[in-house]
Amino acid sequence: MKRQLDLTWSNIEPNLQTILGSNFNNAQSPKLHMETYTAVYNFCLRMSLTTNQSPSSFNSLILGYDQVIFQLYTNVRDYLAEYVNNLQIQPDENFLQFYVRTWSRFNIGSAYLNHIFDYLNRYWLTKQKTDYANDISDINTLCLVQWRDYMFNPNSRVLIDEILNQIELQRNNHYIDTSILSKAISSMVLLGINNNTTLSLYIDCFESVFLERTAKFYDNESNDYLKHHNVIDYMKKAESRINEEISRLFYLDDHTKPLLIETLDKSLIKKHAEELYIEFDNLLATNDNENVHRMYTLLKRVPDTLTVLANLFQNYVKREGLKEVLNIKNNSATTGNGPVNAKLYVKVLIKVYLKYKSIVREAFEDYHTFTKALDESCRDYINFNSIASPRVNFNNTGNLGNLGNSKTPEYLAKYADMLLKKKNKESDITNNMSEDDIMIIFTFLNDKDAFEIHYRKLLAKRLIYGTSSNLEAEESLITRLQRENSIEYTSKMTKMFQDMKASENLKNEFFDKVTKIPNKDEIIKDFNPYILSETMWPFKPYKYNFKLPEELEPTHDLLESLYTMKHSGRFVKWIWNLCRGEVKANLSRSGKPPFMLTMSLFQMSIILPFNKKPTYTFKELLDITELPSEQLAGNITPFVTLRLLNQSPPNAINPDTKFTVVKEYRSKRMRVNFAANIRIEQKQEEEDTAKEISDDRRLFLKACIVRIMKARKTLKHVTLLTEVINQSHSRFNAQPNDIKKCIDDLIERAYLKRQDGNNDVYEYLA
Amino acid sequence: MAPSPNDTVVLLSSDHQRFVVEKNIINKSIVIKNIIEELNGAADSDDPQDLEGEQIEIPVGNVRSSVMTKIIEWCKHHRNTTFPDDDFDEPNKSTPIDDWDKKFLEVDQDMLYEIILAANYLNIQPLLDAGCKVVAEMIKGKGVVEIRNTFNIVNDFSPEEEEAIRKENEWAEDR
Repeated sequence: MKRQLDLTWSNIEPNLQTILGSNFNNAQSPKLHMETYTAVYNFCLRMSLTTNQSPSSFNSLILGYDQVIFQLYTNVRDYLAEYVNNLQIQPDENFLQFYVRTWSRFNIGSAYLNHIFDYLNRYWLTKQKTDYANDISDINTLCLVQWRDYMFNPNSRVLIDEILNQIELQRNNHYIDTSILSKAISSMVLLGINNNTTLSLYIDCFESVFLERTAKFYDNESNDYLKHHNVIDYMKKAESRINEEISRLFYLDDHTKPLLIETLDKSLIKKHAEELYIEFDNLLATNDNENVHRMYTLLKRVPDTLTVLANLFQNYVKREGLKEVLNIKNNSATTGNGPVNAKLYVKVLIKVYLKYKSIVREAFEDYHTFTKALDESCRDYINFNSIASPRVNFNNTGNLGNLGNSKTPEYLAKYADMLLKKKNKESDITNNMSEDDIMIIFTFLNDKDAFEIHYRKLLAKRLIYGTSSNLEAEESLITRLQRENSIEYTSKMTKMFQDMKASENLKNEFFDKVTKIPNKDEIIKDFNPYILSETMWPFKPYKYNFKLPEELEPTHDLLESLYTMKHSGRFVKWIWNLCRGEVKANLSRSGKPPFMLTMSLFQMSIILPFNKKPTYTFKELLDITELPSEQLAGNITPFVTLRLLNQSPPNAINPDTKFTVVKEYRSKRMRVNFAANIRIEQKQEEEDTAKEISDDRRLFLKACIVRIMKARKTLKHVTLLTEVINQSHSRFNAQPNDIKKCIDDLIERAYLKRQDGNNDVYEYLA
Repeated sequence: MAPSPNDTVVLLSSDHQRFVVEKNIINKSIVIKNIIEELNGAADSDDPQDLEGEQIEIPVGNVRSSVMTKIIEWCKHHRNTTFPDDDFDEPNKSTPIDDWDKKFLEVDQDMLYEIILAANYLNIQPLLDAGCKVVAEMIKGKGVVEIRNTFNIVNDFSPEEEEAIRKENEWAEDR
């Protein structure tokens, strides 16, 4: 058998040299291939036949056959080792070139060789693999193993060093032959054969060193570059470096891609993030959106750094917002215009928001972290700034804690009032004001409930005084508020509009009825009654005495009886202080038409008696009207200042002060409004609003607590607080202290109790 | 419609007959297919050699011309058949032999063995399978003596050896 092996081997061996090494002659190669294949085939077949012919010791003979074939396999293995060892570097090539040249040929040859030993692979190997350990492999793999052990391993340091030097040359803008690199690197992937992770050789021998060198290269370069260039140039450099490296990826294995990118990001971006941050404010201040975008794009590669940038952005926008607000505050202070104009204020808030919103869109691609940062900063400066919270010092940008109630909701309500109120034709005050502005600021309000109260107050006035310019616009805004917040939020305002309609119907009914009664001359022919649901409208019931002028009594009595008849059980309360009317005054110079004087009902009750005699003392008027003296004084003053009544003595009013009506009234206008100048109750009103807000809140919080506790039965204090805060978020920012007070109150009223022995937990009591 | 020389190869049988056969017919033989692919690979590589006009000749030293004819006939018939790949699909060993193959293999025993050997040699797995199945069916359901007769086997066991083997395989016996 040994003899036959030697014979076969001597036939095969010369062909192996041709197959692995020399240039192929195509005409010869099929013959060479087939003959060598046949030689191997015949040898294997003959060996199996000879063993089968000696049946005496079955098992040991199979082993004998295997051993013979194994000898052949060993011959090939030794041959390959020697072949690889004998490869010669040529004088005009470096090791890398030599390696790639011989590898390329060897790699083709080993595939051929594998086919030559196809029969061996097919039968003997399959059996060996199942029977023994896997240090026996198919011939192709054997070739790779031998190459690895006799070529790659002994020379890997030199080879990899040359590869890395080539890459470094390329990084320094030298031309290199990338196909050589590509082949050398892919050989390392192919040589990773024995382990379960086939890339292990590539990773261990090459990739780790490559990444290390890359990091070192870019650490050095970036440090050096930043010493001599500004941040903008550095960002451009980093950008182009990253692009270059990505275009280089084609000759590396895919496995390296994320790691290389990570290495670059670390060396070029993460390590220099602080330097970039320093430049950020400048870029924003100079409106350099292009470079803001560039910085964003770079930092986005390392998401952590983006969070910091978003924080910087948030602080910047907040500072800008505060600065702009402070500017208009100082301006109006120096020009002495008193309180800041609502339009000016809202417009400034909008301006800052829009500016940075467009930066978020253009430079930050509407990336969510930045949208959120913008929202946060807007919420900050819109709710709390030198105008909204005049008593807080905003120079300190840190956390200001609880800043109390913001005035922004009130300003916004005033802004809406300006927009929706009737105005003089020539006035361009509402120029560039819009519903959209209101909605933008509204979304940022913390105290949406406060806005609702202020807004409703102004809306009520517009409705009952008929000063709204456009009911459609009113309703459209309310619809948008409702969509933005909730139906509940606008329910009172909606009811107000319903009341207006019902009042209109009532008026029509009233006039229908008037035509049918006998003494209709006593009835006023033209007026607008408003029947308002008490809890929906922001008006306090009238608490003082008042005697309606006798001229109005029949009308009043008829209307009230009509209404109570229609709605039995309803009780009408008159809010005398809100009533207004027009009085025709025959005080013109002869030949001129009479004046039309607009005045409050109180003023009417004061002025009507002057039809009977020209002079009254203050005391007499008090008796006639039954008004409290401060009301009377407040209402009478406009008559004096607008010279309808003469006061004597002037200045201070006392019970004996006399008021005399002029004989002939002089005014450039035919219509004079006396009601506009009544100055009482203003301060009172503000306090009422504040109280209304806090009452509403307490009610809301209690309802909230009960609702939550009813659903959950028992709850820890902290959890309850969090839930309540979350639920009230769409209306206002609930303060833990207020919530605690509400909880205590509910405990007192036996809605809740503290758990026995566990003060931290509440229980719901049905 | 003679195929162009580029699409054909010449197979030389052991008795020096030339068989011109289309590449995409004979590539059912993995061994021949490998050779053709190597040549294509060499033609694509950096060192091109002119293949034009040169007919590839492959000596198939282990196959006689009569057997070669049968092999080529089989390949021609199956030129459009796709066989399940042993490496990926678990081959269903109990699949009955294709009817055409059965007819094709209705030859005398010597020819059958030569076809099987040639299929093995040229690595044509489906043909090798079919051949082996035919032989298996020749054995199936037959007793020891019948089998010996079918295959002309002389019983060279001693009675003791025979008894030992029978005992060893008792479990497999059909009772």
